[in-house]
Amino acid sequence: MLSEPVDPEWSDASADRLRAIWKGLPGWRYWKAVNNSEVGIWYSLACLFFMLCAGAMALIMRVQLAVPGADIVSADTYNQLYTMHGSAMMFLFAVPMFEAIAILLLPAFLGARDMPFPRLSAYGFWCFAIGGLFVISSPLFGIGPDGGWFMYPPYSTKFGGIGADVWLLGLSFIEVASIAAAVELIVGVLKCRPPGMRVNIMPLYAWYVLVVGAMILFAFPPLIAGDLLFELERALGWPFFDPDRGGDPMLWQHLFWIFGHPEVYIVFLPSIAIAAMVVPTAARQPIVGYSWIVLSAVGTGFISFGLWVHHMFTTGLPNISLGFFSAASEAVVIPTGIQLFAFVATLLVGRVRMSVPMLYIAGSLAIFTAGGLTGVMVALAPFDWQAHDSYFVVAHLHYTLFGGMVFPVMAGVSYFYPFFTKKKMSNTLGRIAFWLTFVGFNVTFLPMHLTGLMGMPRRVFTYLPGLGWDGLNLISTVGAFVMAAGILTFVWDVLRPKGNAPFTERNPWDAGTLEWSHDVPDQAWGVRSIPHVVTRYPIWQQPKIVERMDAGRFYLPDAEEAKRETLVTSILDARPIQVMRVTGPTWKTHLTAAFTGLGFILPTFHIYWPAAFFLLCAGAAVIWWLWTSTTPVPEKDMKDVGLGLKLPVYASGPASAGWWGVWITMLGDMTAFASLVFGMVFFWTASETFITDDTRTVLLPWLSLATLAVGCSWALTVAARETNRRGRGGIAKFCLTGAFVLTIVGAGALAISFWASDLEPTTHSFPAICGAITIWTLAHLGLGLTMQGYGLAGMIFGKLTTRYDADLWNITLFWHFMLVTMAAAAFMIGVFPILAGEV
Amino acid sequence: MSRITHAEASRKAVLEARQQQEETPENKEERRRFAEEASSLWLITLSPLAWAIHFILSYGGAALYCARFAPAEFDPVPFMRLSIAGITVLALAVIGYVAWVSWRQWDYLDDYDYDHAKAVGEDRHEFLGHAAFLLSIMSAIAVIYVAMPAIFMETCR
Repeated sequence: MLSEPVDPEWSDASADRLRAIWKGLPGWRYWKAVNNSEVGIWYSLACLFFMLCAGAMALIMRVQLAVPGADIVSADTYNQLYTMHGSAMMFLFAVPMFEAIAILLLPAFLGARDMPFPRLSAYGFWCFAIGGLFVISSPLFGIGPDGGWFMYPPYSTKFGGIGADVWLLGLSFIEVASIAAAVELIVGVLKCRPPGMRVNIMPLYAWYVLVVGAMILFAFPPLIAGDLLFELERALGWPFFDPDRGGDPMLWQHLFWIFGHPEVYIVFLPSIAIAAMVVPTAARQPIVGYSWIVLSAVGTGFISFGLWVHHMFTTGLPNISLGFFSAASEAVVIPTGIQLFAFVATLLVGRVRMSVPMLYIAGSLAIFTAGGLTGVMVALAPFDWQAHDSYFVVAHLHYTLFGGMVFPVMAGVSYFYPFFTKKKMSNTLGRIAFWLTFVGFNVTFLPMHLTGLMGMPRRVFTYLPGLGWDGLNLISTVGAFVMAAGILTFVWDVLRPKGNAPFTERNPWDAGTLEWSHDVPDQAWGVRSIPHVVTRYPIWQQPKIVERMDAGRFYLPDAEEAKRETLVTSILDARPIQVMRVTGPTWKTHLTAAFTGLGFILPTFHIYWPAAFFLLCAGAAVIWWLWTSTTPVPEKDMKDVGLGLKLPVYASGPASAGWWGVWITMLGDMTAFASLVFGMVFFWTASETFITDDTRTVLLPWLSLATLAVGCSWALTVAARETNRRGRGGIAKFCLTGAFVLTIVGAGALAISFWASDLEPTTHSFPAICGAITIWTLAHLGLGLTMQGYGLAGMIFGKLTTRYDADLWNITLFWHFMLVTMAAAAFMIGVFPILAGEV
Repeated sequence: MSRITHAEASRKAVLEARQQQEETPENKEERRRFAEEASSLWLITLSPLAWAIHFILSYGGAALYCARFAPAEFDPVPFMRLSIAGITVLALAVIGYVAWVSWRQWDYLDDYDYDHAKAVGEDRHEFLGHAAFLLSIMSAIAVIYVAMPAIFMETCR
């Protein structure tokens, strides 16, 4: 069937229909776009801008440190600069850059038309842009955070003006955007692969994205929970981190680094994934050791969660704890190293062409290996006690991050540039930029190992002459400017207008993966038709595939109904199971992001009621967005997608992408909740006086009533789904109404159990953490209530029927997690204090 | 009127969908394969998960025991050492079992295939076995690493 010729007339007509539905809007309405190609470009340019800002801050710091006793900036400004340099590089550049690149590339690797939830990525981007601008501009007004990128209490809870609030609220907002992107990317990898692309042949990049997405779900939520506690302490005086009132600053360090260390690998893995795409092309040879690289990605993902205490080796934890973390920190070298060996092996067996991207990869391997070796050194607790908080650590972390993230990303940009823009970067400028950056980097950071070993501490704004640090610092400063020249050359090459330059050829590097089947000049449809993929390098190994894709020979070559569509396939074997309709351009995402932004930014200036109002508006905007554009009732059940395949247009439950989106989101949500529970257990472990005989607890009868009501509400929600599925819409409506009422009862009882008790959160960490868990649960009950109301409205207005019940499946799924949250909360604030008080 | 016909149509669609779930040989085969799919994806996470649980129990257990439960009257170290030895053996046993199952699934000695680059069920099946086997080896090494501090510790500090 594949080899049958395509009727050229039909091919042209269907291509026109496809072009019409996917094309962007003209003029200012261009900004309504939600396509992964547009959003991805905006996202990466925003990251680039923030990176340049953070780099400029680093240069100011280097000038200040060039000679002893310099007076370029005050100590106060210097504190803001290094705090913002670290925060911006991590939160506004490294992590979002991964998301930006993945949003841009993933659909192309998978021959998909778009990401599964285009508006979610657009919303994530606008949140990121608003929050990022807010945070990065704060030092300009002298109100930047100045407590280090880790914001340790007690300094950050007690001092520093509103800087700490800027950091907490601005970055929490961005973390929400990151989690949104993670959900999108995981569902993209699991459900939007082309037919035939089983897990054993999907591009390695997709494996890395999957692992990193999962890591974000487990790493970011602890920080969000920590931020919540932190802000409760700053705004309301709840003493989570104040030892005078039973709090413990170490809890923040734990929560921060449970996020902070996996974060390093969240930054590293997707960048090294770019190397996994560039290396086979440069070697003109399929990757060697595909299974080994999957092992190393998955293995690193796991072990990176057992390393966080190595940032806390000098905090006085018991040596036995340090031992476990030191051991795990050494163990992570194994999977990390394996992938580098696989790359070297691929280069060895292939015939390498030293293209500019490959040059950057080579530089990255060299620098990362050096950083990894100093990592092995500082992972040993006794060595770390000597090197901690010295410039040795500064050198180490820059070697790992530059080798593990910046160089691979530069490689990626120059490699994928023809794909992004259909133009080429300059070969000469690329080589000049590489050598300037490579040499400049080493001149800057290699001496810092010595400066550190000679005793220079981090984060000092100046130093005295004659300590032996003078010359080394001057060399570092000179190197920093050489490196900056390299980066600027690179950025110039990326941004310079290329109006007259010819278009690139379609596959300029002779690569084998699907993204190089792109159309030159650009077409907004992603792929002309979605191919059937049976090899790891389809362009190399599947003859005529590009020709057939172009002719519209494969799946979904047409848009008869003028809807944007992409294929959904099964998780392991990519059997096609649904044609999914995806959403198009809109202003709803901007509106929602603006409301969300106001809701997060206003509390920084202690403006609470308007902030609450705007958060409600954001909620309303989300409901409007969902109601008007998700899970629409289709005009027909099945659709012919080409090659004799008919697929359903609608799916609900585990077959649909939305259900997986909810499942994955809730996994992250549970992690955040688990962090609060961890906080309670931590207080109990760390302090003898956390629970004593006269500790009062919440009102148990009310708490029991709340648990019972929420449990019944859950049961009725499930019953509603089941009865609805069996065609008993009336009973289902009745069940859901009952559930709705019971949720209100449960939430009310839960609120009474805490606020009518004698617990006063400002007095001690025990009532404070009980309060935090109560607030968390109440917020979720509010969400669950909204969902039940939404489902009810859907049933009443005919949007949710026996056949079209995706919303109800998703609501029930949320309620499974709600039940667990409620039960765990009841146990922790009701039962645990009684049990633990006995010990 | 139109609401009623719509509801009827929906009910009919559900009935049809249910008929498709009937026990035809193809449906059975499909479901069997799907079950295998789900279980083998989890297979690759089992060994690292065993590492993670072993890690949390070692760290959390030692910290909790020392902070809360260690008796003042005698040396707490031997008990801790024995407990860690116990969970280490347990973790290694789990990992060993997963390694054995995944080695069988990889079935290397059958065709000496370690590339699994073909788009057939067998290659996907063997690939997941291979990856799970490699992860088991890594997890076993990591478990042994994490257990080693127990050999050297002398006090609760």
